[in-house]
Amino acid sequence: MDRRRFLASAGLAGASLVAGCGSFQSQSTRAPPLVENRPDGTYRPTHVEGMGMAGMAEAGDYMVGFGYSFPHRFWTVTGTDAERVDIRDADSVHLMATVWDPETEMVLPISAGVSIAIERDGETVDEKSPWPMISQNMGFHYGDNYELDGDGLYTLKARVNAMDERRLGPFAEKFSEAAEASVEFDFAQSALDQLSYEEFPETQGERGAVDLMSMEMMPTSQTPVAGELPGTLLGTKKGSDGVYAATWLSEADFLADGESYLAVSARTPYNRVPLPMMSLDGSVEAGGETVFDDALTAALHPDLGYHYGAVVETTGTDPSVGVDVVAPPQVSRHEGYETAFVGTPSFSF
Amino acid sequence: MTDRGISRREFAKSAVAIGGTAALAACLDRGAPDVPEGADDPASLPARQHAWNDALATDDAGNPRMAHHHVLLLLDYEGDGTPTDADRGQVEDALRSLERAYEWSSDGLLFTLGYSPAYFDRFEAGPAGVEVPEPEALAPFEDPAFDTPDALLHLASDHESVVLAAEEALKGTKESVNDHEMAATFEGVFGVADRRTGFVGGGLPAENQDVDGIPDSEPVPEDAPLFMGFKSGFEGNQATEDRVTVDSGPFAGGATQHLSFIRLHLQQWYEQDSREQRVSKMFCPAHADEGKVEGVGENLGTDSAIDECPEDVVESGRREGVVGHSQKLSRAREDDSPTILRRDFDSTDGGEAGLHFLSLQQSIADFVATKEAMNGTDVSENSAVGQRTNNGILQYMTVERRGNYLLPPRSLRALPPADPA
Repeated sequence: MDRRRFLASAGLAGASLVAGCGSFQSQSTRAPPLVENRPDGTYRPTHVEGMGMAGMAEAGDYMVGFGYSFPHRFWTVTGTDAERVDIRDADSVHLMATVWDPETEMVLPISAGVSIAIERDGETVDEKSPWPMISQNMGFHYGDNYELDGDGLYTLKARVNAMDERRLGPFAEKFSEAAEASVEFDFAQSALDQLSYEEFPETQGERGAVDLMSMEMMPTSQTPVAGELPGTLLGTKKGSDGVYAATWLSEADFLADGESYLAVSARTPYNRVPLPMMSLDGSVEAGGETVFDDALTAALHPDLGYHYGAVVETTGTDPSVGVDVVAPPQVSRHEGYETAFVGTPSFSF
Repeated sequence: MTDRGISRREFAKSAVAIGGTAALAACLDRGAPDVPEGADDPASLPARQHAWNDALATDDAGNPRMAHHHVLLLLDYEGDGTPTDADRGQVEDALRSLERAYEWSSDGLLFTLGYSPAYFDRFEAGPAGVEVPEPEALAPFEDPAFDTPDALLHLASDHESVVLAAEEALKGTKESVNDHEMAATFEGVFGVADRRTGFVGGGLPAENQDVDGIPDSEPVPEDAPLFMGFKSGFEGNQATEDRVTVDSGPFAGGATQHLSFIRLHLQQWYEQDSREQRVSKMFCPAHADEGKVEGVGENLGTDSAIDECPEDVVESGRREGVVGHSQKLSRAREDDSPTILRRDFDSTDGGEAGLHFLSLQQSIADFVATKEAMNGTDVSENSAVGQRTNNGILQYMTVERRGNYLLPPRSLRALPPADPA
């Protein structure tokens, strides 16, 4: 079976394009039983679902895209605990908002998040702030299950908050203001029912991941290949199934004389989806001295992607770096990620 | 979010939420309470309008318990320019009539009348000796509208019929209350720009949970005093009335008042978060680990045991990935005491689950500092705690409106000049 059979419906409101998905199944069977004895790490989920495009719009410096799919089960994360959220009878769709920079097409994980209100004929139908969330095929997005009121035309309103993450280089002047956007969403149950749905009875529970989907209208979140990160790659380490690539920049347009930059890019294995909302401590020794020992700051740079970094007062080029995960990513998880990245490993580079 | 859609729900509104003489009549049909009469001499009442604590009932643990029913009237002065002495006399007479009719207690009637920056704009300078700034957004992730009436009247009682009758009497649609004739009304002096209502106390939120923002599963516990399912207003978490009182200048004996309207979105709170997550987010993760909070938290007594949460809130947040609402607020203390006195209550105004967050403090700056501690922006910096996710209860609320007021001392409550000296 071709795993890459998820197609976004490319902005045709309501009309979803499905490539060869054979069986239509009732909603109750779209949450097959969880894999027994799930591994402590990224694993292939029981199934994946396609996504329809509800619309996209510009909001200040941001672009916002709305996708929808069948209601999902997912896990919220508090500390090192993942708490399962089951599908309610009332849930109509899993709504996903993706926020990106239209210039670089980089998906932006914003800690202050997004609020979504769904309206119909001027009345509020559902309203809540979706969780920051990672999914093997959808990457990082803001998602939750929402309740609609049958077929019809809805307005999806999103407020995207300002980023309080550190922005570097060309991003320094951007994303500092909240912005709002709305799209018209022509929802039809029949269109939702035609989204692809694929189970993996043979491979579910195996270590691995389904591929990140590629969409024409909307970028998906992916950190750069470790070897393509700017600066000198200090190494790539793995812990609690997360992959940590550390790079050292002696020069960058955002650095002053005498400064260097440590960047740690935390990502999922297989798909390189960024792991936002972690607490990381870092230490740097250069020339036999400890030149940095503090928290790393979540930051964004067009070439480094989302990462955790620190400006270090040194011109040393051969640093020894220690990184401690103090708290794992507090992003919610779609199936296959809920047992991964919940530990607090330490690394040295 | 501005330009929001209206609520899609038709719900059974309480009499106070509906308001008016018909609601009052319906309310009295269910049985007229025996309400104690007020003071023969209103001059014997406390000099502070906000001196409520001694007039409130107490709960089993000894915390002052807020009156159950509330009406807020946002009022505009109908005269031109600065108020006339005649208008002042009329307002004072009307309020004294209420004080004669009802005991100054939650079994009778409690009220305050405050004045906004917009009110003081008609004078040459702002109120003497007290800063009452225009309201502003108090977090990067909020976008409130600002209330700009001239005055804010807060009526509170354990009896629905009392707040309704007092309101109607002031509006002039009812000639007497509790068998006492009104000597005057607000007619011709104050017009009502907006009316807001609410309730607090065990049972009331559960009774009124059929609104937007609360899922249909009716998750609010039967005995919860507030929609979020936990008790608040512990004596140990509240400023004293002394602490919030303006201590010098012509408005000494007054206080500043902040009123915000916050909409609650509790589907995630009740249907996705576990009890442990709720306790972590409302109090602190240590309380969740130790099972410190039973039910709605009556077992906590007179404080929420926040000194048993880790003291370094930023470090605790970084390590735990979550930080509690009370835990964050514990940082806003001065000399180990809170600086604001909450008198907030829930609401179903507009068919939406909401909270009228009313607080008193000596200076609006005390409120701003407390709100800043609650924002936890410093906790989310360099930390797994999001700016709203796992950051107390910020995920579940939207601040819709803010307004600031000066509560003058009782002697100056009727259309005060900016500089009474």
